[in-house]
Amino acid sequence: MRRDDQAPVGDGHAAVIEPEIRVEGLAKAFGRREVLRDVSFTVARGGFLTLFGPNGAGKTTTLRLVATLLRPSAGSVSVAGYDLKDDPTPVRRAIGVISHDPLLYRDLTAQENLRFYADMYGVEDAARRIGDLLERVELGHRRHDVVSAFSKGMLQRLAIARALLHKPRVLLLDEPHSGLDAHAVDILDGLLGEIRAEHTFVMATHSLRRGLELADQVMILDAGRVVFRQAGRPAEADFAAIYREHVREGALA
Amino acid sequence: MVRKDLVSELRTRETVVSMFLFVVLAMIVFHYAFTVPAGGRLSLLTGGMLWVVFVFGALLGLNRSFAHEKDEGCLDGLLLCPVDRVTIFLAKMTANLVFLGLIQLVAVPLFALLFAPGRIVSHLPVFVVLTALADLGISALGTLLATVSMNTRARDLLLPIVFLPLVIPLLIAAASGTSAVLAGGAGFGALLGRLAFLLVYDGVFLVLAYGTYDLAIGE
Amino acid sequence: MESASTAATKVMARPTTPKLATTTAILAAAGALLTVGLAVGFWVAPTDASTLGFSQKIFYVHAPLGETALLAFGVAFVAALLYLRRGDDRYDRLGVAAVRLGLLFGLLVMITGVIYDRAAWGVWWDWEPRLTTFLIVCLLYSAYFVLRGAVEDESRRATYAALFAVVAFVDVPITFFSIRLLPAGMHPVVIGPSGSGMDYRDFIAFAAGLAGMTLLFVGLLRLELGIEALREELRELKHRLGR
Repeated sequence: MRRDDQAPVGDGHAAVIEPEIRVEGLAKAFGRREVLRDVSFTVARGGFLTLFGPNGAGKTTTLRLVATLLRPSAGSVSVAGYDLKDDPTPVRRAIGVISHDPLLYRDLTAQENLRFYADMYGVEDAARRIGDLLERVELGHRRHDVVSAFSKGMLQRLAIARALLHKPRVLLLDEPHSGLDAHAVDILDGLLGEIRAEHTFVMATHSLRRGLELADQVMILDAGRVVFRQAGRPAEADFAAIYREHVREGALA
Repeated sequence: MVRKDLVSELRTRETVVSMFLFVVLAMIVFHYAFTVPAGGRLSLLTGGMLWVVFVFGALLGLNRSFAHEKDEGCLDGLLLCPVDRVTIFLAKMTANLVFLGLIQLVAVPLFALLFAPGRIVSHLPVFVVLTALADLGISALGTLLATVSMNTRARDLLLPIVFLPLVIPLLIAAASGTSAVLAGGAGFGALLGRLAFLLVYDGVFLVLAYGTYDLAIGE
Repeated sequence: MESASTAATKVMARPTTPKLATTTAILAAAGALLTVGLAVGFWVAPTDASTLGFSQKIFYVHAPLGETALLAFGVAFVAALLYLRRGDDRYDRLGVAAVRLGLLFGLLVMITGVIYDRAAWGVWWDWEPRLTTFLIVCLLYSAYFVLRGAVEDESRRATYAALFAVVAFVDVPITFFSIRLLPAGMHPVVIGPSGSGMDYRDFIAFAAGLAGMTLLFVGLLRLELGIEALREELRELKHRLGR
């Protein structure tokens, strides 16, 4: 069931534009262990939401739920107008995921990996798109090398290519900078900046600076609950204070 | 789905090789384990022997079918793709089926060479149909159970424990059918009952897999 | 967070007596029926005319056990389906209890069956369809518990167990028929007692035994579920206090 986007009407009053991502009353429990409680937020099209929070707060779980990898215990999620429960398939088509796991097959070459995912997603003109993306992440020269030989930075770059392959409207990033060397981080940041305008983002991170750089909405999760949520981008210093205020333990990097 | 199969096969040269080695070694072991006086009685054993070997060989392959995704953490990558869960099942099942078939393609002539006379050749069609149906059942049931067992603690140990009791009916039909072929050369008529049974068996488990796979693989 | 005393009082105030009373009644009825059935079977009913003689009486225990075991697995099957449908933990608990009892009854079936077969044909084990099926079925449902033990993730355990319960139950008739298919060695398939028809006294014994065994199953099931529920409450309490 698709809820149609309605463009603003010319005579001045804008009709309702459905947010790209809408999460309402989301809850998740593993057996008896409650991991998320009553999480709600929306992200407008083209927006960038950064999730902060200590380890175990539920950031990864939230992202996995939106990514259709987990089934919610309660609540609803809709992405690009499609409800996750009713139409997971179009949601999957609209989503690209970058997490600390590169989600690549070690025994295959870079090109083969991308080929596989391109096939699975039904990407048009796959060969050219693969080539373009490989160039963009500066891995063109390694395309025929088996992935098991790659460094962490290279793996992550390839993962970015994989995530962008099918031109997803939404990108979900789970601590994408973790474990990367400086060069890889630069490439990643550069890329994110480049594609910022074309996509909607949700990123979970520990890095204060990176998290705030591109965000237009910030949210803090603690112990499975949303403890702070604000549109706009706060200054680093302000936010550090806010974080300490709302979170029981630990400080941000 | 088919493309997924191709990818699976491309890299799992290792799986096929292991399965094949196992099957050949098992046959040799059986040869020394069962010193039966030459004569008619042997044929009763050999049908069963062949299928025992195939079932355990299949188990090896099944254990590995999700190993790549699980070990390398790219199960998520697969789950993220906009494909029906059932499609994933069918793809995996087909891959397993192909592996099993490949093994059998080489193992059966070898078996004929080592043990039984060329009875199989004279009744090839029946034998092929029988084997195909049995393979389908093994792959369907096995893939479903492998999906479940890959998420558990004693991954490789659990699969045989849950798989073997369930596959006994299939084994009975396939083994006895093969023995019949080897012993007196039974034709389609004689084996019809078994073939029908295998068909029903396959149908039942395929339907079960179709209905429950979403739950088996998701979270 | 509630105080310990409030939580404890809440739990203990919950009425458990009516349930327990019903369960006791059921078990009592079961006991009565079984006693009657066995009494009739052993003393009143005529001794079987064929070679089995007195040992045929074992059948009055064996057959009801068998039917009840299958009933238990059937209950587990339905519970599993309901769990997969609705995700209510209660169905999972019902399933586990049913399988456990089914396994217990199944083992008893095997034991009595072996004794019966020994009396009837003079062999301890003959690979005949009935008992062999039960052997496989017992192994199958033992695997159910192995599976439960091996699943780390609590949330998945029930799902996988339910899946297996469904598959296993479907496999039971399949297994039975496949064994009957096999031509090797003709066994007379014994479903009922041998001899020319059933004397009405035999029938009473049989029916009483069947009814009694079924009630026994129901009673034990309720007992198990009751114990499990109490355990759950205890866990809840600990959980609340621990926080």
